[in-house]
Amino acid sequence: MISCRDFISELGNLLDADVASEFREQLEAHLAHCNTCQVLYDSTRKTLRIVTESGSFEYPEPIAEPLVTKVMDRIRSGCKLEEPQNAD
Amino acid sequence: MGFLPELDDALTADSLTTLKRNFGLAPRVYRAQLLRPDLVDAQVQLLDRLLFSKRALSRVQKEFILLTVSAENNNSYFPALHCQTLQFLGVKAEQSEQVAVDHRDANLSESDVILLDFARKLSSDPHSFTELDVESLRKSNFNDEQILEAVLMVGLTQMLNCIQMGLGTEPDFKPRITFPLKEVNPPVASERQILEPELPGDFVSDDPDFEIVVRVRDGETDAFEELVRKHGRRVYRSLLGILGSAEEAEDALQDAFLKAFLHLPNFEGRSRFSTWLVRIAINTGLQRVRSRKEVDSLDEENEEFRPRNIQAWSDTPEEFYSREELRRLVEKEVMKLPVKYRVALMLRDLEELSTEEAAAALGLSIPGLKARVLRGRLMLRESMVPYFSKAGASKS
Repeated sequence: MISCRDFISELGNLLDADVASEFREQLEAHLAHCNTCQVLYDSTRKTLRIVTESGSFEYPEPIAEPLVTKVMDRIRSGCKLEEPQNAD
Repeated sequence: MGFLPELDDALTADSLTTLKRNFGLAPRVYRAQLLRPDLVDAQVQLLDRLLFSKRALSRVQKEFILLTVSAENNNSYFPALHCQTLQFLGVKAEQSEQVAVDHRDANLSESDVILLDFARKLSSDPHSFTELDVESLRKSNFNDEQILEAVLMVGLTQMLNCIQMGLGTEPDFKPRITFPLKEVNPPVASERQILEPELPGDFVSDDPDFEIVVRVRDGETDAFEELVRKHGRRVYRSLLGILGSAEEAEDALQDAFLKAFLHLPNFEGRSRFSTWLVRIAINTGLQRVRSRKEVDSLDEENEEFRPRNIQAWSDTPEEFYSREELRRLVEKEVMKLPVKYRVALMLRDLEELSTEEAAAALGLSIPGLKARVLRGRLMLRESMVPYFSKAGASKS
């Protein structure tokens, strides 16, 4: 019998669909009779959906190209690749 | 050529013999001082008595001090010379190089790590060096004569580094590692710079960037631009998640790509280039956070996280908010997470790296990464309850 603590420790794997089918059945059996874990699972799943679809922390287009230029300018102005082999 | 002439024939026979016996050659840094052969003799005698002779510390311990302090000074000359010397002493070049890059990750004994921590602090931050630092060596069973040798080795290395830089002496051997940036020997173990994350298996054969990486390594610098363009978004978002400021993320992005470029010869393809790059970006971001001295601990916590606020959410709680409101809300709440959970969550749930890739990028075991991601998700869920629960999801 799976406890709430066991369920929470497996919650990440359940959300990532990374649970063996037999174990998954046990987790689902727990969910069927535990309202607390049901709410926790449902709200965490929705949190993930909101986070992934929110478009947060985007890379603003206007800065992308100038940053490429800055990086390449710094590289071309004096940085040298390390030499992996010893000289004779 | 350096800044002053090298007068090879002015080297005395005794010094030449001592130098050749220990280095296999008369290193340029000494030949460059031969306008004063008497001072070269004095230095060689000091080397002979302090570094080459075994009295208190072992020769290898003293060589490692020299490597660590030179690396701390971003000096490439002495690591090149002494990695070679250490090979004569039976130390593999890879281990010597790792001592220079990060002695804490070089498979050294605990006491040797403490010895090199001591040397590093004395050389880089002498004003905060106290008797407590000496005590740390005593606690690790170093005796007073060994402590004296350690201090003298730091002083000798500082002097030699200064001489080489002041005379512009070029390396005797092409350096395998160079230190153009202040990034070596990060201050704490949790932010070690491990340039090649270890993944199961040998090499990643399906890396879509492999061909470009090879071109850059073959000298086609312009090809690197493609990598910057392709991975800029991921690097930026990882850094923004760590630093919380767009301006800082832009600066750190430049540093991260620069480091990746400089260390590209060390990239051996045991992970995808993108994973390796994200790891460099994360280290760069964490170093900046550390320097602000406001970071929460990166150590593992054993305390169990107990979710609270168990309230049901409506089916589509996001419908109460505009896309822009949701974006701002998520950014605000994610930024409130402790950095270790935030970074893990961002790599998995925003960057959508696989568990294995995220673990490799953060230098964590897979269970360690999973635990952090779960904790981050649960904490974030908790902070979202007031906005999205049936009771709270009414815009006020």
